[in-house]
Amino acid sequence: MDILFILIPLSVVMALVVLGGLWWAVYRGQFEDIEEEGRRIFEEDQD
Amino acid sequence: MLTNTFTTEPAIPNPSWTILDTQDQWQRFSQPFGDDPAHPLVQSSLLLDDLRCAACSGIVERGLTVLPGIISARVSMSKKRAVVVWSPDLILPSNILSAIQKLGYSASPASHNENQLNSTAKSRAAFWRWLVAGFCMMQVMMYASPSYFTKAGDISTDISHLLNWAAWLLSLPVMMFSSHSFFSNAWHDLKFRQISMDLPVALGIGITFIVSSAATFDPSGWWGHVVYFDSLTMFVFFLLSARLIEVKLHSKTLGAMEALVSRIPENTERQNLDGSYTRVLNSQLNIGDIVRVNIGEAFPADGKLILGQTKVDESLLTGESTAIHKNLHDSVVAGSYNLGQTVNIMLETIGESTQYGQIVNLINQAAIEKPRLSQLADRVARPFLFFIILSAITAAALLWNVDHGRALMTAAAVLIVTCPCALSLATPAAMLASASAFVKRGILIRRLQAIESIANIDTVIFDKTGTLTDNHIELKSIDVQHGLTEADALALAATIAQYSMHPVSRALANAASQRESSKGITFELTDIQEQVGAGMSALIKGHALYSGKLRLGSAKFCESSLSKMSTADERYQQVYLANDNGWLATFHLQEAVKSNAAGAINQLKQAKLEVELLSGDQLHTVENTANSIGIKQFQAACSPNDKLLRLQLLKQQGRKVLMVGDGLNDGPILASAHVSIAMGKGVPLTLAHADYILLNGDISQIPQLIRHAQKTMRIIKQNIGWAIVYNTVCIPLAFFGLLSAWQAGLGMAVSSLIVVTNALRLTQFSTVQFTDLSPEAK
Repeated sequence: MDILFILIPLSVVMALVVLGGLWWAVYRGQFEDIEEEGRRIFEEDQD
Repeated sequence: MLTNTFTTEPAIPNPSWTILDTQDQWQRFSQPFGDDPAHPLVQSSLLLDDLRCAACSGIVERGLTVLPGIISARVSMSKKRAVVVWSPDLILPSNILSAIQKLGYSASPASHNENQLNSTAKSRAAFWRWLVAGFCMMQVMMYASPSYFTKAGDISTDISHLLNWAAWLLSLPVMMFSSHSFFSNAWHDLKFRQISMDLPVALGIGITFIVSSAATFDPSGWWGHVVYFDSLTMFVFFLLSARLIEVKLHSKTLGAMEALVSRIPENTERQNLDGSYTRVLNSQLNIGDIVRVNIGEAFPADGKLILGQTKVDESLLTGESTAIHKNLHDSVVAGSYNLGQTVNIMLETIGESTQYGQIVNLINQAAIEKPRLSQLADRVARPFLFFIILSAITAAALLWNVDHGRALMTAAAVLIVTCPCALSLATPAAMLASASAFVKRGILIRRLQAIESIANIDTVIFDKTGTLTDNHIELKSIDVQHGLTEADALALAATIAQYSMHPVSRALANAASQRESSKGITFELTDIQEQVGAGMSALIKGHALYSGKLRLGSAKFCESSLSKMSTADERYQQVYLANDNGWLATFHLQEAVKSNAAGAINQLKQAKLEVELLSGDQLHTVENTANSIGIKQFQAACSPNDKLLRLQLLKQQGRKVLMVGDGLNDGPILASAHVSIAMGKGVPLTLAHADYILLNGDISQIPQLIRHAQKTMRIIKQNIGWAIVYNTVCIPLAFFGLLSAWQAGLGMAVSSLIVVTNALRLTQFSTVQFTDLSPEAK
């Protein structure tokens, strides 16, 4: 079980990396208009 | 809203758009995009008013992206906005706007104001705090889960220490960042010796973190070895979720009011002496200034169109939803939107004296004032919070000798589970939701307390003129004394009538200006007096023929003997003109009963409300009106004093009376009724002393208003009931250690959400017909 001594600290680091990713997404406005982008899928077909 | 009239027209660029082509103009609705100095790009937002369906957004997007110079175009159906990225080297804003016009839609530049940018930043920050709490909560739970499923000794102490440290590390962002608002609010309260909801919450969070940290780094110490990071992160997450949803719901309920209050842009283009334009703050505008108002902007003040013609949207001011065409020299009102094209106006009324300014003042006042139930809740909240802190200390003291850690955690659970906010939110949340529903329908409310008052009424008294009848009164014929021409009589009446706001006076003044009978005749009036509900008098100076005291009004007021007069025509209402020598003229006026009056009265009667009509007019006109709309109980030829007496009599009988009047000539009566409604059409709002003002004068809204107020009171009672039940059940549970900290957090979050969502049901005005709204039936 010694591997846990690496894996647990690693999971903390990974969690922080994911948090960084979420920060990027929030401040790029990715969550601001959720419905519109979903609807867009159905519209492009007319081309 | 504008209807789509552009499809059949050839797409000639609107000439006013070319002014947008200069850089300082398009910068108002654009911002730089990308960072390539060789090819500067610009991102602009445009308002698209007549998007009808999701497919429209695709049409606009494709139509724009084929243009050279347009990098991308994104249309949001829900926000009715297009965000276009374009290159100033290749295309001009006027080309973009005319391209959209060619596609069959109308676009206007959407100026981004700082408020909006601010609120985006705020909502992002709140969302980010919540996301950090949520993500860290999940991760901390992972580290905590081994201890849920194993017996003591199954995990080696090294590993369990490592898990605790990891959990501690990921609780830090939750403590330092996500719960920041709880701590800063609590600190603020302490500094100002107040007490609020955030104090017990902050105490609870703080205690949990200290206990758990001590257990992490000193497991053999007297704090015990149990960590509560999972509970900590969880209840912070629950509380933040509740607050996030609350803020969303709140901005939704207040959306209509906010939209109304903050619709005027902060600055306006004022014309300089040389004809150029400078942007100045609205506070610097003066009467007489000439300002340019662009498409999509709201007019900053009342004024006259002096250049161009346009369409305006006055819906939030009058409830009238179709766009109104305005020609040169027409008046425009502050707060209405310019939909047609860029125009110049000369300002006539500015700031708070505009009707818009008055509406905003009324709304702000109503929102500030605390209704009775709300004050009661606030009074209860303070001692309640002291009681909670006291019980937390007691709970901790009782368990202290058993286990320090457990004792403190029980205290934390007590602190967190309490929900006085459900109690203090119950009334204002519901009443504000209701008030915003009213505003959407063109009903202004002066004080929130009036919602409670109108829900309990059992009698409705109507005034006649301007209330049950249309404001528009027509002059049918004039009888004059021998030697006087009709035109002279009308001119004479109009000179005195123009000083009054009474519908009859205004009808006479209008008729005179239409017939142009005042040409060449000028009278100088002094000592103008209006006797409310009876008539007007004034002294005429400098006119040989009609000098002396002139009177205009009812037969009684004019003191003229009836024998000399023309026969009173049953169909019409009569107004008399007399001077010192006696009768001069009789004006026969016809007023039309509002088409929806009968329906509204019928609904009120079905709801088992007593309906009465009190009027200052003669018996036969009042009788006609009453019969035509189905009111059995009526009283004619009432002086304002008679009306007051009748009202007092009803009050002595224990009736709760709603008075409906035009708000101008019946101020004292409106004020002495339990609750009152005034018609706000064409009346200065500051003069309309009533609890409710119907901006569009539509009396069919009254039954709905009463019904909605009763629903509001029902929901407030439900909310208060829920808050009491929740707290009486959960506090003892937490006190005896039956609730853990995370359960307490969940309970509190859910409890305040229930209150707010319940209140949210009131933002929609129900239009369902109703049968019974008597107080007993509630």
